[in-house]
Amino acid sequence: MNWLRQLSARQQIYSDLSEEIQQHLAEKVDALMTDGMGRKEAEYAARREFGNVTRIEESGREPWRWPKMESILSDTKFAVRQLLRNPGFTLTVILTLALSIGVNTAIFSLVNALLLKTLPYPQPERIGVLFAHYTGPDISSGGEDPINLDGQMWEQLRDNVPALTSALSAGLNSGVNLQATTQSANQAKYVRNGRVSAHYLDILGLQPLLGRNFSLDEDRPSGPRAAILSYSLWHTAFNSNPNILGAQILLKSEAYTVVGVLPEGAITPLNAEIYTSLQPSQQGEGEGTNFSCIVRLRDGATWQQADSQLNRAFAVRAARFASKNPGDSMSFYTVPLQKGQSSRLRPEALALMAAAAFILLIACANLASLTLVRVLRRQSEIATRLALGATSWQIQRQFWVENLLLALIGGAFGLGTGYLALRGLLHLLPEHFLPVASVPLDGRVLAFTAGVSLLTSVFFGMLPALTTRKVDLRSAIASRAVAGGGIRLRQTLIAGEVALTVVLLAAAGLLIRTLVHFETLPPGFNPSGVLTAKASLDDAHYRDPAAFRRLMNESVAAMNQIPGVENAAVGLTLPYERTLNGGVIISDGAQAGHQVGADQIYITPHYFATLQMPILAGRDFAASDGPDTQPVAIVNLTFARKFFRTSNPAEAIGHIVDKTTRIIGVVADTQLSSGLSDGTTPLISEETIYVPTSQFATGANAPMLAVVHVWFQPSWIVRYAQPIEGLSAHMQRALSGVDPNLPFSGFYSMNDLMATTLATQRVEVALLSAMAGLALLLSAIGIFSLVANMVLQRTREIGIRIALGSTISQAMVQIGSSGASASALGLLLGLVLCAFALRIMSSQLYGIQVYDVPTIAGVLLALGAVTFLAITIPVLKIARVDPAKTLREE
Amino acid sequence: MMVLQSLRRQPMHGYALVQHIKQRSNDLLQVEEGSLYPALQRMLKDNLVSADWEISSSNRKVRTYRITPAGIKHLEREVSSFEQMLKGINLVLSPAESPAESPA
Repeated sequence: MNWLRQLSARQQIYSDLSEEIQQHLAEKVDALMTDGMGRKEAEYAARREFGNVTRIEESGREPWRWPKMESILSDTKFAVRQLLRNPGFTLTVILTLALSIGVNTAIFSLVNALLLKTLPYPQPERIGVLFAHYTGPDISSGGEDPINLDGQMWEQLRDNVPALTSALSAGLNSGVNLQATTQSANQAKYVRNGRVSAHYLDILGLQPLLGRNFSLDEDRPSGPRAAILSYSLWHTAFNSNPNILGAQILLKSEAYTVVGVLPEGAITPLNAEIYTSLQPSQQGEGEGTNFSCIVRLRDGATWQQADSQLNRAFAVRAARFASKNPGDSMSFYTVPLQKGQSSRLRPEALALMAAAAFILLIACANLASLTLVRVLRRQSEIATRLALGATSWQIQRQFWVENLLLALIGGAFGLGTGYLALRGLLHLLPEHFLPVASVPLDGRVLAFTAGVSLLTSVFFGMLPALTTRKVDLRSAIASRAVAGGGIRLRQTLIAGEVALTVVLLAAAGLLIRTLVHFETLPPGFNPSGVLTAKASLDDAHYRDPAAFRRLMNESVAAMNQIPGVENAAVGLTLPYERTLNGGVIISDGAQAGHQVGADQIYITPHYFATLQMPILAGRDFAASDGPDTQPVAIVNLTFARKFFRTSNPAEAIGHIVDKTTRIIGVVADTQLSSGLSDGTTPLISEETIYVPTSQFATGANAPMLAVVHVWFQPSWIVRYAQPIEGLSAHMQRALSGVDPNLPFSGFYSMNDLMATTLATQRVEVALLSAMAGLALLLSAIGIFSLVANMVLQRTREIGIRIALGSTISQAMVQIGSSGASASALGLLLGLVLCAFALRIMSSQLYGIQVYDVPTIAGVLLALGAVTFLAITIPVLKIARVDPAKTLREE
Repeated sequence: MMVLQSLRRQPMHGYALVQHIKQRSNDLLQVEEGSLYPALQRMLKDNLVSADWEISSSNRKVRTYRITPAGIKHLEREVSSFEQMLKGINLVLSPAESPAESPA
């Protein structure tokens, strides 16, 4: 604190100077008295010859001062006094800034964490993921997607792209059951499992705390079974046992050798508790594109080399695409990991940032309008200062200091608000929604907030500052300084902010309508009165179809025994959930011989009854449909329409699929989250085929049982008439009665499942609605302050008018119309803006068009109501104007 | 310049400095005595002089100023530039002896 020391040193210098001068005078007096003068006379002469002591002391101090700093300090002191004298103005400004800067801080933290912050891996710029680029007449714009690999592509990538070190992780990761033997007596525990190939952890630059990463041998098909533990699992399930390496643990009822423990805080994109080797091949899982891929650029190689090698390696795949889609072509390229990971959320994040910027602009318009009034009101003060010799720059500087001070205080509050908003926002997001571990308020966010605060002060300070340059000394002093000017400017500002508000309101309205569309889709079943629970069957015991059948039958029977349970069943997936997509061969009718894609769901009997899905024709599965009886299936209405060309469900009965399977029933459609159609629709009802658990994966298809359970955890469903106390515990007991080593991994209501599927939409709606609401509030404040200020300025004029016979309502209309016209102009402008701006939203909208009449009507209504309130409240003050009193003041 | 020159000869305090300059200039320079102090403060700030409280021969607490090496350098520069200026003025003011008109 150098300046502090300087400050105290300065006190010393000043007192030295004073003392020295006193000594000088004393010496002079002595000298004069020696010459024979009287004391009084001598003192007088000494002072006369010395000059003005105070002035000399002053100018003696001058060389020691920092002239800029100190005058700015005094400006600041003055600014603080000015702000305290107008608490209403100051509070409004700080509140506006706190809210608008807070929103920007919160949203920017997200953008920062998603798009800007470097990944927590060494040399993250050398890590990438694979994308495909589609071109051709049939490809809509932006045909760029992350790709998954099948076993064949993986081998080509691994062997023919020397520029890259490549690794896979399973595209669908589920959990597994771990029998922790060290603690709590052999109890099974559900853990999130990440299945990765040999170099996966190397590519991320993760070195185990203990042991090593997977070897190539452990990664080859049917190689040794090995596991790597996360630090937290090692800590909780194995008591941080330092001798864990080489130990056998029981995972999926199979022995795995622990080969490594990851360090504390090690993060992978999979966010798993335990890692096992993927052992990819062209068989089983590798028959489809079920592997996600990450790559690291080898030393000395370039991304260009990697891309060209990649396209050569995948030439077969591209040729297959071209032959299937004549005229189109497909090429491959690498994308940095961060960009690839956040590609899903990038447009949303940027749209939110744009919305936040709108809020800031609106706030700036408000503040500019408010400060403008303030400057106009202080014209007489300015004129006086100018007349007393202040330079125009000194006056400007005074205003800039005030604005800067406000911006800094507002920014500090904004940071606090932003922090709280961010906590709230993260709380709102479902778990693992963001592909990043944390969203910190780091240095970059702080710098952003500081920058935004300064920028706002420049924005809102500029207009008023420019107007002060035109202060006319004579008229400003002569008149009673009634600030009448600036109305046009303020109206323009308010029209601008209303226009931006309209865009935000319309955008929020469209998203709300989309969410409402999804949430009110006919579900096709009764979602209330149902509890579901998932358990992982990725377990050695249940690769045997007979064991699987026994578990299904006995566990459903046990759950039916729970008092109060009306019905119980198991299904591979539930409505609203992502489904298994598979091929079905149509074996008769017009499309005989065609293989078609469909959602496949295995179910126990009473699945439809438990979910209360209406069976439109035929019958449900029964206990009598066994592994050795006639293969049967039930399809939904869409399946029947699409492949049997009938909208009469009864006509679908009896058709044959997959050569021998007979369709015995048709059920209503439900909403589910499809991986089948290319669209990004979160919910859709599409062709679905249900097969009985007793006939699923029998005979040659038996390996399918293992693969399906690696990807999906089936759900146990119970329906109750009245809520049952401790139902989840009852369900767990019922399951444990059949297999004590089978823990449920979670319990969900149907609403939970819908919320998970619609999470993105919900978050978007919540955020954008909050921002639109804020924009509306700010606009209301803007209109309110415009009108209120006019009422204040014109009280005298209104008094005279009323005295001359004008009615109060005429005066009200006259004043109110200034706010109304600004708002109306803004509305028009906003609608024009919407016509252009909202078109980019079309990919996010379902069930409605971009130009949606109810939304626009809603915007009009909201804005109209708010404008009306913001005008009426201040205008009512006119009624209290007393003409006699106003005239007396004249 | 005068102050520095005086201090170069010997360190002294403010009052003595005033008396000294008055004497040396034969009372030709009539200034307010106090105006010396702002000048001294400037020189202190610029490190041309230093000051210390001492007890004078007349048993009085006085603040004695000394010229610093930087002050000496400054003084020499000032003096030489002043002399340059004087030379210039002299040349201009001296009657009809400019080199251009001197006989070949």
